[in-house]
Amino acid sequence: MNPPKSCISAIVEPIVWISNATPIAPNPDDAREGDCNNHLGVVKIEPFTTTDVRGFPMVAAVTAESVSKGYGDTVALGSVSLFVDRGDIFALLGPNGAGKTTLVQTLTGTTEADSGTVSILGDAPEEVDKERIGHLPQSFTPPERLTARELLSYYAGLYENPRDVDDILADVGLMAVDDTWYANLSGGQQRRVCVGIALVNDPELLFLDEPTTGIDPAGRQSLWSLVRDLASDGTTIFLTTHYMKEAEELADHVALLDDGELVETGSPATLVDAFGGGAQLLVETTTPPTEIEALGLDVDTTETGVRIPDISPVDIGDVVEMLDARDIEYDSIVWSEPTLEDVYLRLTDEVAADDVATGRDLATVGGAQ
Amino acid sequence: MTTLGRIEAEAGAAWRSFVRRRTAVFFTFGFPLILVAIFGAVVQTNPTGGGLFGHPTGFYVPGYLAIIVLFTPLSRIGSAIARHRDGNRFEKLATTPLARFEWLAGHALVNVGIILLASGIVLGALSLLGANVTLSPLLLPFVVLAVVVFCGLGALLGRIASSQDGVIAASNAVALPLVFLSETFVTPGMLPAWFRPAIGFSPLTYFARGVREATYLHQPAGPDLFVLATLAVVFFVLGSYAIPQDE
Repeated sequence: MNPPKSCISAIVEPIVWISNATPIAPNPDDAREGDCNNHLGVVKIEPFTTTDVRGFPMVAAVTAESVSKGYGDTVALGSVSLFVDRGDIFALLGPNGAGKTTLVQTLTGTTEADSGTVSILGDAPEEVDKERIGHLPQSFTPPERLTARELLSYYAGLYENPRDVDDILADVGLMAVDDTWYANLSGGQQRRVCVGIALVNDPELLFLDEPTTGIDPAGRQSLWSLVRDLASDGTTIFLTTHYMKEAEELADHVALLDDGELVETGSPATLVDAFGGGAQLLVETTTPPTEIEALGLDVDTTETGVRIPDISPVDIGDVVEMLDARDIEYDSIVWSEPTLEDVYLRLTDEVAADDVATGRDLATVGGAQ
Repeated sequence: MTTLGRIEAEAGAAWRSFVRRRTAVFFTFGFPLILVAIFGAVVQTNPTGGGLFGHPTGFYVPGYLAIIVLFTPLSRIGSAIARHRDGNRFEKLATTPLARFEWLAGHALVNVGIILLASGIVLGALSLLGANVTLSPLLLPFVVLAVVVFCGLGALLGRIASSQDGVIAASNAVALPLVFLSETFVTPGMLPAWFRPAIGFSPLTYFARGVREATYLHQPAGPDLFVLATLAVVFFVLGSYAIPQDE
C-alpha cells in the first residue's frame, strides 16, 4: 500500500540547493514534483519523491552537494550541486573545458573532490557496489588488438552477472563486425564498442562521458535509440555532451555547466521556454538594416544581414510580402525555433559557438531573388 | 565473478594483446637468444684463462635467466601502465569490480608464462651450445617469484614515468646496474670491497644466488628463496598500490 503523500514528504525532506551551497527554503508555488528549475546564477533543485513498488521513497541516483575540484590554480569545479532521480536521462552540457569530465570523475569516484559530498545510488562513490554502475570515460580506448566480441567478453568477465555478449553486440549494432579487431574498426564502430563495454553488467546507473563523439549521424541516432531503451527499462543515465541537439533529444533534465559552474538546470522544454527567447527569422541580405527597420520591424544586425526576433511561422508570409513590396533583395530567409543552444548561449554569454556542434531546426522559406 | 575469474579475464585479455603484437613477441623471445649468441657463442667462456667469463657456462645460467626475469616484466608492466593511461583504461577499470591487485596479478601471470617460455628457450639454446645445464624443480618458484618482484617494480616505474618513453628509460636505468651488481655475470670478488654489502639490496641477487645454488653449486637454496618470496610479497603490494585509478 502506498503511503500518503504527506508521509512521503515527511520521509524525504525536500532538498534545495543554490550554487554556492547555501540552503534556501523551497517555494511551494514554483516547485513542481520531478522538476528541476532555477534562475540565472542560482541552482535550485527539487528532488523527486520517487517511491519503490512498496511505496517507500527511493534514494536518488546521483546527488552532489557543493562539489569543488581544482588542479593547481585552475578551478575545474566550483561548488556544484545537483540531483538526478532514478530512471532519468540527465545530460550535463557544456563546451570543452567546462568541467563535465571532472564532475563525472568525481561522481564515479575516479577522482576526489576537494570539498563537498557526492552520493551515487545512496552510497559514496568508493563504497557503491561496482556491479550496479556502468561507465564510459571520455577518450576511452580499450586494448586495440582484441575483437569487439573479445573486448565485451573481457569486460563481462569482471562482473558477477554479465549480460550475454551477443545481446550487447546486437544492441550496439556490431554483430557484423564482431570478430574484427578494435584497431581495424571505424571511429564510430569503436565508440559503439566502448558503449557496449559500459553496458556489459546491465547497470542501474550509467555514466556516459561524451558517448557519441566521433560517431556519424546514423550511428548517433542508433545510440540515442539504445539510450532511450535503457532508460525505459529503468536505467538511470548520466551523460555529458557538447551536442545540444543530443541533450534536447534524449534528456529528461539537463544541467548547463560553464567554467566549472552550474549555470542552470531543468528540463529542456522548461529551459527553452524560460530562456530560449522566441522564434526568429534570419534574412540574408546586403540591404542596410535601417531600411528593414523602416518597415516597422524590430531587427538585429547579423554578419550576413538581419535577424528579426520573436516571429511566428504565420507571420513569415507578411514579412516576405513587405520585403518584396519595397524591392528589398535577399539571398535567403530562414526561420528557426529557439533551442537549447540559444539557452546556453544566452546564459553563458557564449558568442563564439565553435564548440557547440549542432544547429537549430531550420526551415528555409525563401531563396535568392 | 570471483577474484580468480577476474584475474583470468584480465590475464586472458593481456595475453591475447601480447601475442598479437608481432614485434613485441619477436623481441621478447629473440632477446634471450641474442644474449646467448653474444655471451655463449661469440664471447664464450674460458674457465682456465680468467677474464670476464672465467667460469664454466653453467655458472652463468642464472645470469642469463636473471636478465630475462628482470628486463621483461619491468618494461612490459611499465609499458602496459603507460598504454592504459593513454587510453583512460584505468579510469574505466576503477569503476568495475576489478581490484588493483587483481589487475597486477593478471599481468604478472602473463609475464610468468612469457618468461617461462623465454627461459626454456635460453636453457635449450645453452644446451645446444654444449653447456652442462642442470634443471632443478626450484627453478620454477625462483622464476615465478622474481617475475612477481619485477612486475611490482615495473608498476612502480609505470606510476612514476608518465609515458612509454619514460618507462623504457626508467627501466633501463634501473635494470642495467642491477644486472651487473647482483652476482649474475660479475662475481662479488670483482667488485670493490666497500660496495659488496650493497649487493644484498638487489632483489636480483637472491634470484641469481638461489638459481646458482640449485642448478650449479647444488647447495641448499632455501634462504634465498625465502628472501625472494618476502620481496615478492612486498613489491606486489607496493606495485598494486602504485597502479593509477584515475587515468
